[in-house]
Amino acid sequence: MKLPYAVSLGPGTSAADLTGSWRTERPVYQTLVAPCGNACPAGEDVRTWLYLAESGGAGYEAAWRSIMETNPFPAITGRVCYHPCETACNRGNLDEAVGINSVERFLGDRALDQGWTVRVHTPATGRRVLVIGSGPAGLSAAYHLARRGHTVTVRESAPAPGGMMRYGIPRYRLPREVLDAEVDRVLALGVTLELDSPVTDLDAARAEGWDAVFLAVGAQLGRRTYLPAASAAKVLDAVSMLHGLETGDRPLLGRRVAVYGGGNTALDAARTAKRLGASDAVVVYRRTRERMPAHEDEVAQAEQEGVEFHWLSTIERVEPDGLLIEQMELDENGFPQPTGRTERLAADSVLLALGQDTDLSLLGPDSGCRVIDGSVETDHSFATGVTGVFAGGDVVAGERSVTVAIGHGRRVAESIDAWLAGRSAPPVADPDLAPYEALNTWYFEDAARTHRPLLERARRSSTFDEVVHGLDEDTALFEARRCLSCGSCFSCDNCYALCPDNAVLKIGPPGEYEIDLDYCKGCGICVEECPAGAIRMVPEEV
Amino acid sequence: MLRQLEGSRAVAETVARCRPAVVAAYPISPQTHIVEALADLVTAGELASCEYLMVESEFGAMSACIGASAAGARAYTASASQGLLFMAEALPNASGLSLPIVMTVANRALGAPINIWNDHSDALSQRDAGWVQLFAASNQEAVDLHVQAFALAERLSLPVMVNMDGFVLTHAMEEVDVPEQDDVDAFLPPFQPRQWLDPDDPVTIGAMVGPGAFTEVKYLMADRQIRALDTVTEVAAEFRAAFGRDSGGLVRPYRTDDAEVVLVAMGSTLGSATDVVDDLRAEGVAVGLLGIGCYRPWPYDEVRAVLGGVPRVVVVNRAIAVGAGSVLGRDVRLSLPGGTTVVHDVVLGLGGRPVTRAGLRELVLDVLAGQVPDETLHFADLDREAVHRELAREAALEEAAR
Repeated sequence: MKLPYAVSLGPGTSAADLTGSWRTERPVYQTLVAPCGNACPAGEDVRTWLYLAESGGAGYEAAWRSIMETNPFPAITGRVCYHPCETACNRGNLDEAVGINSVERFLGDRALDQGWTVRVHTPATGRRVLVIGSGPAGLSAAYHLARRGHTVTVRESAPAPGGMMRYGIPRYRLPREVLDAEVDRVLALGVTLELDSPVTDLDAARAEGWDAVFLAVGAQLGRRTYLPAASAAKVLDAVSMLHGLETGDRPLLGRRVAVYGGGNTALDAARTAKRLGASDAVVVYRRTRERMPAHEDEVAQAEQEGVEFHWLSTIERVEPDGLLIEQMELDENGFPQPTGRTERLAADSVLLALGQDTDLSLLGPDSGCRVIDGSVETDHSFATGVTGVFAGGDVVAGERSVTVAIGHGRRVAESIDAWLAGRSAPPVADPDLAPYEALNTWYFEDAARTHRPLLERARRSSTFDEVVHGLDEDTALFEARRCLSCGSCFSCDNCYALCPDNAVLKIGPPGEYEIDLDYCKGCGICVEECPAGAIRMVPEEV
Repeated sequence: MLRQLEGSRAVAETVARCRPAVVAAYPISPQTHIVEALADLVTAGELASCEYLMVESEFGAMSACIGASAAGARAYTASASQGLLFMAEALPNASGLSLPIVMTVANRALGAPINIWNDHSDALSQRDAGWVQLFAASNQEAVDLHVQAFALAERLSLPVMVNMDGFVLTHAMEEVDVPEQDDVDAFLPPFQPRQWLDPDDPVTIGAMVGPGAFTEVKYLMADRQIRALDTVTEVAAEFRAAFGRDSGGLVRPYRTDDAEVVLVAMGSTLGSATDVVDDLRAEGVAVGLLGIGCYRPWPYDEVRAVLGGVPRVVVVNRAIAVGAGSVLGRDVRLSLPGGTTVVHDVVLGLGGRPVTRAGLRELVLDVLAGQVPDETLHFADLDREAVHRELAREAALEEAAR
């Protein structure tokens, strides 16, 4: 073929036109922080482990191991975590958040089923750390310290480990075989557990020669309030009731049980009362449902089980056959104010669930640990005022939950590890979050969320069988694949396929791209069409 | 074989015998009968292995032809007037990419005011589009020019526009000899594209050309256009040898020897003008006629050779360059640099106003009587009373506004 001069060209000849010189902006691949992982109190890299789980098979173990980098209790948190990750999940803007918590539980249960374990790869450091309290904070710290080669002893006052995971959370939410199995896996790292060993004097314990001490005694004391009560009235605190149940005490609550408070413990108490045979379990709360601190799922399940609610109500007086309740109304600031109107509520017993306090008697009167409003004061690395003593979990101020405590435990372990090595804990950078607007959701299939099945109601009234079931493999996989991979390339090849200049090069394994700046005109199609928001345009310096 | 045929039908049958592989067109008066007839021939199976494309516009028609031609197919279209203008964006692509597309333009005025009748405004507006432009004087020549056009286009690898006056030719019934299929096949070999798109041997047709080579590409285009003058003559001669008819070619001088005045015209006007020349010659008036058969490329030397020694030339312009003067007249003047020839640039026959023998005769006599200016554009068939009245009214309005 005889081609005309210049205007017709053979293959590849247009490569002489370096159209990249037209560019005023260039695309840059980026990895943003996904909202899920950013919201995770335990610090899990949720997006990464969902991505690993998406491939199924061997991906499940890889996903589980990713979780285990931060959280040693996926089967526990897969049940009891209130999953702020899902609240933050960008997919919530599209249809419904990814069921992250249920996938985590699936992975946690599969690990227990398959007997997956973790090992300590680091040589022993010879450093000895005492952890006071075997709740989620203490055991999480023990796990992470042990994995860093430190020798850890956990001292626990109760006859069994787990703290509030055992003595606060009812079995129908967290079966004890799951708890035991995950705790055993931590102990299998060589962690020494001393049960029935309350530490009553911190200084004495320190004097035993530990290199560091982690104070994680939790908040085990049910907060009391003064209620005028007749001598015959039965007023108990919910925390003690739940604790006693675990040690074999079956409380005598009567047929009609009132619970005072609006947190998760109040709902645990009410639902437990139902299971113990109460015909009526009534939650009395001074504000409205919307302002209740208890998690929505808990409220919904309690309602299904027949728990009743008296909103905008306070208990005036406890009488032998019931309660005198005063109705409240919210003022313009949303605070409940008394109205003077009262009513009677028949009740055989009252369970107080008004919050929990920390027993800090072990600090003694002259401790260097500063206590403010019942919480131990720490710096950003969880160090207390006493050198080598760290505090976390319910002992310090802030949100209290199993997952928060697990996160504290990990961060305390990192701080102790740094401190023992003479390093300072690194500052926490502000995350560069992947917003929903950065995604191109057109590329994602419609996929409605899979919800976990629940135990039939008839069996919830008389047994402590687990209420929420797990997903099976198919549904867990489906749920993992609903992840939008916010702010992270998942090798979809959109940029590669849609670049009009063939200026996206595949340089290696899947997902490794490079922009050929000789030909990239900076049109931004790759940025626009990236489903995950993993590319951004950056102005060229001109 | 001579048959009584409408010009459009004759052209359509001729185009069909040239065996286009793709016809893409959008109807517009007065071109419609041509493409309708071709569509019928395709539907009836008489034009085998031709893809007739119903496109959404003239722009689509030309774009489809460009694509077809680039893929190595013989491509044809037809249009007129604003339809041609709607193609205008694509026309220089066809020529710039050297794609030998053939198009019939059924010449029609340009609106506004909307007017479907004949003049040359449409074709001449595309003067610089890089297409070879041939003008037919009769329906027989229109037929013959189409056979020549495909040969010419493919020999040059350039697009060729065959102009025929709308209605005056396209809708006229007269005796026409449509060349036989065997004769056309013998004259016009199968299309051998100079370049084509082939997935197995990929090339880019239409690469961007930057400042580094653009001028050179344009120079080569211009050079090829000039060289095409020889090919036009060559093809016309070959056609005469094969079909025994004098059709096409660059220019058609008629009784110009010793002429005192020579009319210059294109298209169907040449028929009336020939009669006027014969009549005036019989009366002893030394008048001649130069028909322009090939408007682009402009046959500079051939025009100069005919007109060089002629005292007076009258250019019959059937289009005007508003604000500048004439179109054809300027080309004629180009061929007469520094000479003594006086050129009268005359406009007539716009928007379908008949160019009659009487009108042309009067024009020649007026020129000889010194009543036609040679400095300014002269509107020969103007209703002067009407324009004077309007100009006076406008002037009065302006005065009143002042």
